[in-house]
Amino acid sequence: MTSVPGDHGKKVTGSLVHDFQTVKQLMMKRRQFFLIMVFFLLLSHPAWAEAQQPVTAAPPLDDQTSGPVDANPVDPFDDELEDPFAKEDDVLQTVADPIAGFNRVMFTFNDKLYFWVLKPAAIGYRTVVPTPVRVSVKNFFFNLLMPIRLVNCLLQGKVKAAGGELGRFFINSTVGLAGFLDPAERYPELNPPPEDLGQTLGYYTVGNGIYIVWPLFGPSTLRDTMGSIGDWAMNPVSFMQLVNVDAGALTSGTTNAVAYGVQTVNDTTFRIGDYETLKNAAMDPYEAFRNAYIQNRISKIAQ
Amino acid sequence: MLPDRIDNSSKKPGLPVDNRKRDAAWEDIMILKTISAALVMFLLMLMPASAGPTDPMTTIKGPIDSVIVILNDPQYKTAGTKVTQRNQIWKTVKPIFDFNEISRRAVARNWKAFSNTEKAQFIDVFADFLGNTYIDKIQGEYHNEKIVYLGQDFYSDEYAEVKTQILRETLEIPVYYRMRKHNDGSWRVYDIIVEGVSLVKNYRTQFASILEKETPAQLIQRLNEKLAKQNKSLSENG
Repeated sequence: MTSVPGDHGKKVTGSLVHDFQTVKQLMMKRRQFFLIMVFFLLLSHPAWAEAQQPVTAAPPLDDQTSGPVDANPVDPFDDELEDPFAKEDDVLQTVADPIAGFNRVMFTFNDKLYFWVLKPAAIGYRTVVPTPVRVSVKNFFFNLLMPIRLVNCLLQGKVKAAGGELGRFFINSTVGLAGFLDPAERYPELNPPPEDLGQTLGYYTVGNGIYIVWPLFGPSTLRDTMGSIGDWAMNPVSFMQLVNVDAGALTSGTTNAVAYGVQTVNDTTFRIGDYETLKNAAMDPYEAFRNAYIQNRISKIAQ
Repeated sequence: MLPDRIDNSSKKPGLPVDNRKRDAAWEDIMILKTISAALVMFLLMLMPASAGPTDPMTTIKGPIDSVIVILNDPQYKTAGTKVTQRNQIWKTVKPIFDFNEISRRAVARNWKAFSNTEKAQFIDVFADFLGNTYIDKIQGEYHNEKIVYLGQDFYSDEYAEVKTQILRETLEIPVYYRMRKHNDGSWRVYDIIVEGVSLVKNYRTQFASILEKETPAQLIQRLNEKLAKQNKSLSENG
């Protein structure tokens, strides 16, 4: 567990070194970041090794007539010659799911939670709260969580994106009245793709580990769960709690939970119907959402 | 040849031919000729790159714009017109999709386990099922979303990706159309990638796990049942 064996280990160290060479401005902080990264890499290693299994287990193309059909086949159409958009990492779109039993129960639980609680709440909220207000609430939370995106841009050596995050934060916090408005919206360079710690880990070739469906929080993987915990610590309110700043009501657990609830309901109002469509379009909704989650994360890591 | 013509045109009765005038006219003609030749050259150069209907982006833009017109058409705002509107939309968009290729790619390696009849049945039912699902979605929830065409990438003469974005209130949803050029020169869609999720690959995992336990005929049966259910609820809500 303390060593990173094999080719993948080399890849990880290789990209780290390459990355840090390009980010000379981060000289001071890089040692700390490196330690954090190594810590996460070590933590995730066993699961990550497991995640590679289905890939290597997939039978070669010529062998497909004999033996059982793999659930996640290496597809001949993803061959470079057939489909130039196919990339090597298409193979990695599979994820180990050893706790599928638990996950399916949680998927059903979240599904009921959506239809019985979240969706009615969001529809009610949408009828009462006009669109500009909902947009402002969304902007406010997005602006507040800038540190998470900034740190992850820097961790990935995306200096330009980090500059964009900072620029947007300063414009929207001032001209945008504490982030409720989004005057930075029209400048593409101030709107880099949002980064999170799960993506950062993925950027350093940390594998998904296993697929986990959390009650309330929904689909994730071991890697992305650890990422979310790290991101949570960088959320300004939890950060204040962690470093024992007592800001009274602001840092209370209740405030935190209410804020999360409001944010979730508010964000859902913009997406009502999307979940239903993907579910209706699926032959097996559980598998459809698992695959969609993994594909979506891969595309975000690639950005 | 040209100077003769000018001679003829300027030789109007009663007017003597002025040599200097004739030279000036000749010069004008030469300039015009050069400009028109350059124009033709320019147009010829332009043609292969963006030849109207064979351009991937134009191929999908036309039908998508028509769908938005149909969605906004007041004649479909009254009750009982939903099925007509759906059929109208389906007729508009169906030709831009290559359901043969979509099916083949979604079933992937199991495709060879299908007989020719089963292949044809599968393509038909899968096409209708996809059509129903997504038309139902846009019919139910179209709120003046705008479609932005970001551009098209050619990966070869045969493959292209058209990048679009759906703008909804505060959300930007990236939708990429992957297209292949057919022998007749037409471009058709073989996969749609929404927020990084490929539709074909999403079905591929689902079909693969069903076909692990069931026969192609049973999968077709399942799709037929889902389609029948969809049609029933659509006509009831029509």
